[in-house]
Amino acid sequence: MSQDVAAAGRRRDAVSGSDGSPVFWGRLIASAPYRALMALIGTSPTRQFVLLAALPVLWVLTQHLGPMLQMLRVSFTDAYPVAVGAEQNFTFDNYLRFFGDSIFWMPFFRTLTFAAVFTFCTLIITYPVAYFLARHVSPKNRMLMLLLLLIPFWVGEIVRTYAIMILLGNTGAVNLALRTLGLIDRPIPFMYTSFSMGAGIVYLTALYMLLPLYSALEKLPKSLNEAAADLGAGAWTRFRRVTLPMTLEGISSGCTLVFLISTGFYATPVLLGGPSTTVFAETIAGFFHVAGDEWPTGAAFATIMFFAALVITFAFQRVMKALRKGDS
Amino acid sequence: MTRSTRIFMSCIYWAFVLYVFVPLILMVLMGFKDSKFIGFPITSWTLDWYVGVFEDAEILSTFGYSVAIAVLSTAISVVVGTWIAVVLEGRKFWGRAAMFGMTILPALVPGIISAIAFRIYARALGIEPGMGAIVWAHAVHNVPFVVLVVMARLSTLPKSQIEAARDLGADPFVAFLRITVPYLVPAIIGASIFCLLLSFDDFVRSFFLGGYEPTLPVLIFAKLRSGMSPEINAIATVALVLTAVVGVWAERFTRRTNKEA
Amino acid sequence: MTTPLVRIDGVKKSFGKTVALHPLHLDIAEGEFVTFLGPSGCGKSTTLRVLGGFERPDEGRVILGGQDVTHLPPEKRPVNMVFQDYALFPHMTVRQNVSFGLELKGMGRGDIVRRADEIMAFLELDRFADRYPGQLSGGQRQRVALARALAPDPALLLLDEPLGALDAKLRGQVQQELKSIQRRTQKTFFFVTHDQEEALTMSDRIVVMKDGRIEQDGTPEELYFHPASRFVAEFIGETNLLSGEMRGVEDGRVVMDWNGHVLRGRAPAGVPRTGEPITASLRLERLGFFGDRPDTANAVQARVTSKTFLGSRMAVDLEVADAAGARLRAYVDTATGQGVGDAPVWLGWDADSLAVLRT
Repeated sequence: MSQDVAAAGRRRDAVSGSDGSPVFWGRLIASAPYRALMALIGTSPTRQFVLLAALPVLWVLTQHLGPMLQMLRVSFTDAYPVAVGAEQNFTFDNYLRFFGDSIFWMPFFRTLTFAAVFTFCTLIITYPVAYFLARHVSPKNRMLMLLLLLIPFWVGEIVRTYAIMILLGNTGAVNLALRTLGLIDRPIPFMYTSFSMGAGIVYLTALYMLLPLYSALEKLPKSLNEAAADLGAGAWTRFRRVTLPMTLEGISSGCTLVFLISTGFYATPVLLGGPSTTVFAETIAGFFHVAGDEWPTGAAFATIMFFAALVITFAFQRVMKALRKGDS
Repeated sequence: MTRSTRIFMSCIYWAFVLYVFVPLILMVLMGFKDSKFIGFPITSWTLDWYVGVFEDAEILSTFGYSVAIAVLSTAISVVVGTWIAVVLEGRKFWGRAAMFGMTILPALVPGIISAIAFRIYARALGIEPGMGAIVWAHAVHNVPFVVLVVMARLSTLPKSQIEAARDLGADPFVAFLRITVPYLVPAIIGASIFCLLLSFDDFVRSFFLGGYEPTLPVLIFAKLRSGMSPEINAIATVALVLTAVVGVWAERFTRRTNKEA
Repeated sequence: MTTPLVRIDGVKKSFGKTVALHPLHLDIAEGEFVTFLGPSGCGKSTTLRVLGGFERPDEGRVILGGQDVTHLPPEKRPVNMVFQDYALFPHMTVRQNVSFGLELKGMGRGDIVRRADEIMAFLELDRFADRYPGQLSGGQRQRVALARALAPDPALLLLDEPLGALDAKLRGQVQQELKSIQRRTQKTFFFVTHDQEEALTMSDRIVVMKDGRIEQDGTPEELYFHPASRFVAEFIGETNLLSGEMRGVEDGRVVMDWNGHVLRGRAPAGVPRTGEPITASLRLERLGFFGDRPDTANAVQARVTSKTFLGSRMAVDLEVADAAGARLRAYVDTATGQGVGDAPVWLGWDADSLAVLRT
């Protein structure tokens, strides 16, 4: 029977398709248009890969890099979009304008300071939570308790900002609670201050800090802490000398992410902040609400913001790397 | 670790849970308040605000608009992102690291700068503010997330799977469709849902690239600027329920497929 | 001689600076069960992947059934492969896996069903047709991989260490099965392994590889009893290596001096010059035990130093008399083993059992 098997296969080769036409895939690869396409693509793996990579490379260059480069280019021009008949000239004025007026650079430094402070607050708030989840909860409950925290983060930026407004308003939940407890007579004006803004931004970014911290802490072997305890290290020393240095990488990536995101918020500062907390995003946005000839200045300011954020995160990562090396 | 620190730590966790849930719960409750004024305490309750939302054609069309933008932009992001992931994961090539960096760039640019850059570029490309511009900006912005998710999955596909398919007569394209794509399905579904939510929730890009018609977050923002009202709570709650349900379902889905794999 | 099914003609392959294959020449006849045997990194897998079309040789040609396939991609070759990890498609049932190659051959639906049924029945997989690979045991998966590769009726079947993932007990059984499948289908099998026992059990022909070169090419018996080099002698089975000095050639036999004893052995292709050092391999079971000096070509007297009971046979360690403490190890049946005691015994073996190795 076995030789029949071999022979049958061979026989069928000769009369391929004797029983019905080929099924979908067989028909596809035998079809003339498909063969023409394949002939075009060729059989050389290198040629195939170049053809495969062409469109993605083009997309990444034009759609990912393109907007940033165009913004950079516009920031050096005196008019954009160019009016009919007018000429577009190269200029540094847009950048010089930034340094000329405190109404511009004040929000800039405020934004960076706020972002740094809020990032630090987020770290302080989420570290114990991540630590608790990764080290104190059984693996079975861990995912569940983490998922519980993820749910609010599926909700959008605006909705969550609004939720904070309701929480902190003069007739908000916090003031009501404090008044009921008899701690205050008149509502505390939380809203439109840097506090309300901070509460909102920390609320929005906490997840981006929590997840890197959690994965860093989860990877940390328990035995390390036990070994340190065995050597007589107290709880604080153990944390400072073992846990903290080992999670620097998670801290570093969490802080980078949160810092970058914090500098980019626009709606949250508008809704939660006040006149004394104007951030650079609002300054930049201002150039795009009015006449078009302000666009180059807006582009220049956005470029300044972007490079400042890049330089700061880059410097921060270098410092963290040095710290990590110094400890190991 | 002593018992008292353990209790202390768990208190911190539950305090954090309160911090992330309470504002949303209060916001939801406020949508049922039988008064025009936002504020506590709530003394009488009503469903009128919800009835109003579902009777308001403009709000309903805004929901539809946001969903349409989310679906279209996600479709583009998933196709482009998967394609880029296949190239990046495919083999080593000159400039691969640079390409990866450029690929994830849109995810790292702070929101306002990204919106401004898209706004300027849209004009350079001749895209008028409106649905097309928003779809395009969301699509580009979400590509990096698709790439990261798909690359992670792709890196676990044994090379022998593709070789076996080739060995049995499949050319690279057929092998991709019949082996790689089915293998990527869970990652693609996960990435799609993530993109849908990112797009649906996005404010800053929609705000700067939108035309006359607002997306849902832009509508809420505009209404908030002219004063708080329980109507906004009702709108926000509907959006919240929509996103949270989709998010939780996606989370369960990815967990289930991860277990099966 | 008829034209070979496969001709590997001077195939060379490097990965960066490492040379995986030095120009390799080999012919494989139709219906042969050829095993490539060697340690990891010897080039056996590279050869297999060149045949499958997964690696393109830097130089040389691969001829299959008279056709030059060197530059054909895998999908265009009438060659199928059983992968080391089986590479079954997890999202397809057994039937879909087996039908995969048939669909792409352009066969009709009815033919596909019939051929798949046939091959699944042949490999006793019919009961599992609608299961997914994840629901099968290791042995069953291995059979599915075999069925999938055999279904399109390839001219040559490549097997890349397909038994490596099975446990020892199952492996022996599957070896027998594979051999019998090969006999019954009369297919040409190209089998790659690092397991010498596997190679000896199944192959018609074994090619031992080392550092990208063919070390020896022959039947299992030839390789076992007449290893050409020290590497082969030691890689396959257990052996006594006798190092001595070349004395000359008499009646086609090599005469060597081994610690004062004159021994006669089988000459290799190139005979060393008189006076040069020489090594010979003597398989353990080729040593005979005698009470008096035997009539064999070689005979030495020795004293038993230890005996190891191995069930059906015994390993006996001996110290050879008048040979500067030289030792030999022998396999004997248990009765003989129990019979020998402290008294010196005579050991004898014929000249053909002493294979002089290439230096």
